[in-house]
Amino acid sequence: MSLKDLIAPFYVWQRAFEKPYTQRRPIEERPGAERYRGFHVNDIELCVGCGTCEAICQNHAIDMVTVEGLSPKPGDSGLRPRFDYGRCCWCALCVDICTARSLRLSNNYAWLTENPDDFRFIAGADPMSWNDSQLGYRRDDHYQLLTPERVEMPMLSPEESRASFEEVAKGYSPEQAVLEADRCVECGICVATCPAHMSVPDYIKALRQGDLERGLKLLYETNPFSSTCGRICTHRCETVCVIGLQGTPIAIRWLKRAIVDQVPDSDYKRILGDETPDNGKRVAVIGAGPGGMSAAYYLRRKGYAVIVFEAKHRAGGMLRYGVPVYRLPDNDLDKDLEYIRSLGVEVRFNTRIGSDVPFAELVENHDAVFIATGLWQPTKLRIEGEEHPRVLSGLKVLEDVAEGRHPDLGKRVAVIGGGNVAMDAARVSRRLGAEVTILYRRRVEDMPADPEEIHESQAEGCRLVTQSIPVKISEGATPDKVMITWGEAEMVADPKGGRPRPVLQEERTHTETYDCIIAAIGQAGDFSFIPPEYRDRIEISHGKIVSGDYQQTGVAKIFVGGDVANWTADAISAIEDGHHAARGIDRMLSGQAVAQA
Amino acid sequence: MADFKQLVEHYSKSYTIKDVREQKPSLAFLRVGKDEAVHLIRDLQETAGYTHLSFLTAIDWIEKGHFTLTYMLHNYAARHSIGVHVNIERQPAEMESIHQLWAQAATYQRELREMYGIRFPGSPRLDDDFCLEGWDDIPPMRREFDTVKYSQERFFDRPGRASEDPRAHMQQILYPTHKD
Amino acid sequence: MHQQHSPIDLSSGKYVKLWQGPQHPGITGNMSLELAVCGDEVAECKTHVGYLHRGFEKLMERRTFIQNFTVVCRIAVPEPTFNEYLYAAAVEELAGIDVPERALWLRTFNLELMRLASYLMWLGGISASFGHGTLYQWTVTHRDYVLDLFEELTGARIYHMYIVPGGVRAGFPEGFADRARAVFDKVERILRDVETVLFSNAVFKTRSKGLGIITQDMVDRYGIVGPNARACGLKRDLRKDEPYLTYDQVDFEVVTGTASDAYERTWVRYQEMHQGLSILRQCLERMPMDGPFQARMPNVLHWEVPAGETYVKAECTRGEYGYYLVTDGSQYLRRIHVRGPSYTHAVALMEDLAVGTNLADVAGLMVSLHTYPPEIER
Repeated sequence: MSLKDLIAPFYVWQRAFEKPYTQRRPIEERPGAERYRGFHVNDIELCVGCGTCEAICQNHAIDMVTVEGLSPKPGDSGLRPRFDYGRCCWCALCVDICTARSLRLSNNYAWLTENPDDFRFIAGADPMSWNDSQLGYRRDDHYQLLTPERVEMPMLSPEESRASFEEVAKGYSPEQAVLEADRCVECGICVATCPAHMSVPDYIKALRQGDLERGLKLLYETNPFSSTCGRICTHRCETVCVIGLQGTPIAIRWLKRAIVDQVPDSDYKRILGDETPDNGKRVAVIGAGPGGMSAAYYLRRKGYAVIVFEAKHRAGGMLRYGVPVYRLPDNDLDKDLEYIRSLGVEVRFNTRIGSDVPFAELVENHDAVFIATGLWQPTKLRIEGEEHPRVLSGLKVLEDVAEGRHPDLGKRVAVIGGGNVAMDAARVSRRLGAEVTILYRRRVEDMPADPEEIHESQAEGCRLVTQSIPVKISEGATPDKVMITWGEAEMVADPKGGRPRPVLQEERTHTETYDCIIAAIGQAGDFSFIPPEYRDRIEISHGKIVSGDYQQTGVAKIFVGGDVANWTADAISAIEDGHHAARGIDRMLSGQAVAQA
Repeated sequence: MADFKQLVEHYSKSYTIKDVREQKPSLAFLRVGKDEAVHLIRDLQETAGYTHLSFLTAIDWIEKGHFTLTYMLHNYAARHSIGVHVNIERQPAEMESIHQLWAQAATYQRELREMYGIRFPGSPRLDDDFCLEGWDDIPPMRREFDTVKYSQERFFDRPGRASEDPRAHMQQILYPTHKD
Repeated sequence: MHQQHSPIDLSSGKYVKLWQGPQHPGITGNMSLELAVCGDEVAECKTHVGYLHRGFEKLMERRTFIQNFTVVCRIAVPEPTFNEYLYAAAVEELAGIDVPERALWLRTFNLELMRLASYLMWLGGISASFGHGTLYQWTVTHRDYVLDLFEELTGARIYHMYIVPGGVRAGFPEGFADRARAVFDKVERILRDVETVLFSNAVFKTRSKGLGIITQDMVDRYGIVGPNARACGLKRDLRKDEPYLTYDQVDFEVVTGTASDAYERTWVRYQEMHQGLSILRQCLERMPMDGPFQARMPNVLHWEVPAGETYVKAECTRGEYGYYLVTDGSQYLRRIHVRGPSYTHAVALMEDLAVGTNLADVAGLMVSLHTYPPEIER
């Protein structure tokens, strides 16, 4: 033992003169670090109540609860997370996975209360002292548990697509479909927005797990046109998909297609069954479009004998005659239609109600009637010269093409309109070899067509002129030409706060010569088939047949759906109208109330 | 690892070795029968350089009807580990002890008796409590033991927890009649 | 091994039974030693664990792969980070996920920082168990500065939940590297004082030299790892022998002693603290300061890891710390076994080493083995 060993320990005495390390008032002097995982803060305006935080919480510390002043709306369940601090461990997994990026943690860590039930609180809604704190853990920008990017749908290039009528979207491979399906967090918020309320998270999960049979069954519970909708649906569901809040929404439409495309027609009967018990009642459906055939499907499944009257010689309605085959090939539409017919739904083609069969007779001979005749009357331009022979209707052009009659459009075509029919007419004209100009009276953002259609039409080389109002149509230099004078429009704000109106600038007009002009500014319904004795009870307002609960009209046994009844005017709405009318017809015929109090 | 392949070849002459799998260069697994296992392990310890027992544990393959014991042996010189698997019955569960080979084995065996109900005859203090003083239920690591059920029967939740499903809630409020 | 007393007969009046623990500063956790003493010499020692048993291995079978990282840090309370790393490494190995370079460096930095914090507390513990309470105050304070660094980097002081399957959750905040270096300088200064006061200390030397001697032939018989084994001359360190993360890209030495008694073990650990500080400084020099720190992950809400099994290990302050993971292809793991070094050190080894020691030195012996009870019973 050396001297050093005896003396060295006394060295510590030098520290007696040091300032103590302890802090007297830590909570005030020493707040939590910037990233400290403290108490929860939620921006309840940003939050959409998807419940993914609840799903990932490892200790079941979160409940989704109703909040005073919040109710469900499209894209928002109206629920908000309530945290139970008796169970929370502040791991911030909920913050990492939050789809809206509304949830974070503050850097507060001290909370004293005499009532233990206080420790369950709705972050952001209940008034907590740390609600306004700006510090605290947030998900780092470079750390992401969700996958924001979508698997790209393989498409024909614009050069390829505009040269043929081949389907432009090629479809996901099974591997791509599973990868895309994996992105779904199964919140179910999309279901309310889908007009048919398809069980989207469930069929996406079935696809991911490779259970195509269960997927197909799930699809048919709400939609017998999944091959069609998997291609051309307006996919409103995708607009509210929570993955879209921080990335690209799940490609729900393409995933639906992936299920249907992988199940051959021949397997449908085995998987979906074909039980159609007969209950002895008969229903007539007018129109073999998506609305009529959907009603037919659900009615037949419930045991009704169904007969569908179709004026044209093929089924499908707007799907057949309005949507070109490069968006919806005939075979894929037939896949949906043929299965419905195979269940024993009778379709009588080339039979127009009103002229071939009186409406009243139909109503008397059946237990119920469902009207889904669609809108086939092109809206007039109401300008001078529109009767010129080289002014064609968009619907007529599309119908001709669908029937294999390639109309003579010439080399220079002008299309007037901004909806899907206009886009389809333009793209069809391209494929028939023409240079196309699209004239639309308002701005791009006002165009009612699907954004993808607008984009693809331009990619295929159509010239889009917005804010252009047709003024008059006149003779061309030769009979095979036609001249159109159109004027530029200024958008003028609406004093009442509605959307801006286009105002023609008289001095800025253009006159152009085309080989033909295609008018596609809208369609209206033809209700002449309804005889006077029904007109007092079947109300028609703003060009639509009015319906109440379960699609019922003023006449108890007459129901209506599709474009003649609703304002959303897409296939999926027509499909749901048909399904809902089937529910209503079933209720009426089994003695239950149809009209809801 | 070439040496490992040679090792397996060598020991396959005296033991029935199955399910040989190399997980990575430093780790391999093999399976041997219950009656041969302790011999093989002692052989590996005494002559092949696997002198360190990292751990001894069990996996409950309830659906297959057996426990799999894993003896993880490590060779410091070769920087290689072998996981020796031995399948034993779940009921009654018993295995030859290795407490004489490593001092810590007795502790592992005591824990396995408590957590899985596996007996190692002769292992010192085998029936002493390891973690669970006063335990009155089946060995808890067995897969038929349901921890949630146990805790719900013994303890009580603080009332007041209830959660709504977003999809169902939206359906009730926004489209109550659109269902079959 | 020490001379064993013949079976203890408590009615003979020769022996007194004492319980050291479960709340005792000389236990570094919650564990108890049931001592039978003869005079003031320990005749028999039985260890009792279970005070910190939370059933982690069973709990983890009920949680999905992403949820488990929130739970594992609690398994070894004073040194949680190794659990996070090993769990992530085991899952990544079975799921086939490669973690980006920057994440590897951040993980190495985190583990070494944890080592520093753990050793600082231990250093205080070993001094205090021989009666030197002042050193304990110094080292625990400086550990607090290290915990401040953790708080800044990860969002929490003890249970960081920073290393996750896939990578880490964030990069360095602004100016963090400079603040870290300032803390390392502070720690180095206090270590110099600690060296003077502890290793040139007559009381410490007298009491710890010759206490709890571990010889080389005991090492594999008991499964002794870490500084306990290195102190008797065995150059075994997983960071060098089976390098993981970025340990092959930093320079450091494996410290060994000659005879593993309490004094040598303390000296070896003290040297390792300096090695650790050097590794930390090298990490700050060499790590990439930008780039991704998370691998592409599948959807963690329904993540199924392919069936398989593996054993991953790391060199923590106490030696070989390992995770044995078995998956069956579902969303839940089938079996996870946490191999803590204290399992062997605090039970089998302690029971044998304690026999023959003076009662007053039992605490010192226990702490010199550097055991953390929570990793024994999980």
